[in-house]
Amino acid sequence: MLLSDMRKALAVLWTSSTILIAAPASAHHSFRAQYDPDQPITVTGVVTKIDWMNPHVYFYIDVKNETTGAVENWGFEMGPPHMLQQRGWKRNSMQIGDELQVDGTRARDGSLTANARRVMLTATGQVLGAASSEGQTITTGQPQ
Amino acid sequence: MSHRLAIEFTVSATILALSLPVFAQTPAPAGASTSGAAVRPAPRWPDGRISFTGPPGEIGNWDGRPGSTLANNLGEGVIDVFEFNLPTNLNIDRVPFQPWAREAYYERQKNFTKDDPHTRCKPSGGPRMFHTPYGFEVLDLVDEVIFVSVGAPHSWRVVHMDGREHPANLEPTWFGHSVGRWEGDTLVIDTVGFNDKFWMTREGMPHTTALHTIERISRPDFNTLRYEVTIDDPGAYTQTWSGGWFIPWVPGNEPFDYLCQENNLDAARMVGPRK
Repeated sequence: MLLSDMRKALAVLWTSSTILIAAPASAHHSFRAQYDPDQPITVTGVVTKIDWMNPHVYFYIDVKNETTGAVENWGFEMGPPHMLQQRGWKRNSMQIGDELQVDGTRARDGSLTANARRVMLTATGQVLGAASSEGQTITTGQPQ
Repeated sequence: MSHRLAIEFTVSATILALSLPVFAQTPAPAGASTSGAAVRPAPRWPDGRISFTGPPGEIGNWDGRPGSTLANNLGEGVIDVFEFNLPTNLNIDRVPFQPWAREAYYERQKNFTKDDPHTRCKPSGGPRMFHTPYGFEVLDLVDEVIFVSVGAPHSWRVVHMDGREHPANLEPTWFGHSVGRWEGDTLVIDTVGFNDKFWMTREGMPHTTALHTIERISRPDFNTLRYEVTIDDPGAYTQTWSGGWFIPWVPGNEPFDYLCQENNLDAARMVGPRK
């Protein structure tokens, strides 16, 4: 389920000139109170639910735990709907049944929730920034 | 706004649209956004009064940035971007806290502001509105000025400009009771009657119901709003003190549909620094 740091580093290197860098998004809450910057994660899973609502869009994906073999349902927080639209999202950018690879930061409370920073549709390789409130760049671009 | 004033406002806006540009040519004061490019003067209404909006045809609004605040804090993990702040801001150790208020402030820092009422979708009273995410607009309706906040619970604040005084025995509220006046190009707002259910700033500056603020808002150039507030609250501070920050104009920004209460899952998940 979790990729190694080396793989994450390679993922960064794969980013090409097609990627646009945008400023970190504001948020209505303290990022560090809810998420642990020391717990970056990358998971791949299939979309089961999408909530296009304020203050944050949430999507949920089924992820196979590589250790236990169990399927876990993870929830990911993104920015508000309007900000995602500004970043290039459409209402049909992600649909139930799509497989995604998501980079993010895990919640401090130990639940299967995280803040999404980068979302890639594995079928097309399209990358979408998640308007993350984490203090780092957001990537939006074409298939890599 | 009365019907007469609505007509006057519409007529004024139409005249403004037909008479562009009607900008002042006075240079911007120090502290404004002067990054080497030519400084564009703030727009004005046809009667010469400074405008805190965009001229007709130019959409945009003000977006107070995270990191802008009333007192400079170098503490670990604190989001404080000094260049956003007024150069006259105090360092945090010079803020005249009452002992309990100092303790509350540092406790909030220690907990990563996990208990912030704003995160529970409460309104952004006092200075807080001016650095709440997603921006705000200023509607100058002559007899009243209205601040419209996009973030939080999509709220607004009214400043009475008709010469009235504060009523006696106010029931404390999120935005208090505000009366304003123009001092040249500066909007001066006097507010009392706050409740104590919000944090004055994003990083958790405390206050009590004794809070009395005097805000001074000006537009030194087209792209900059200068916000300064004097805090008079003997319940939380041993003497009055002032601070503020610069707020950038963001071209193209518009209010959007944002209601924090719609699906706020954050409150229960704000656990702070525990591992």
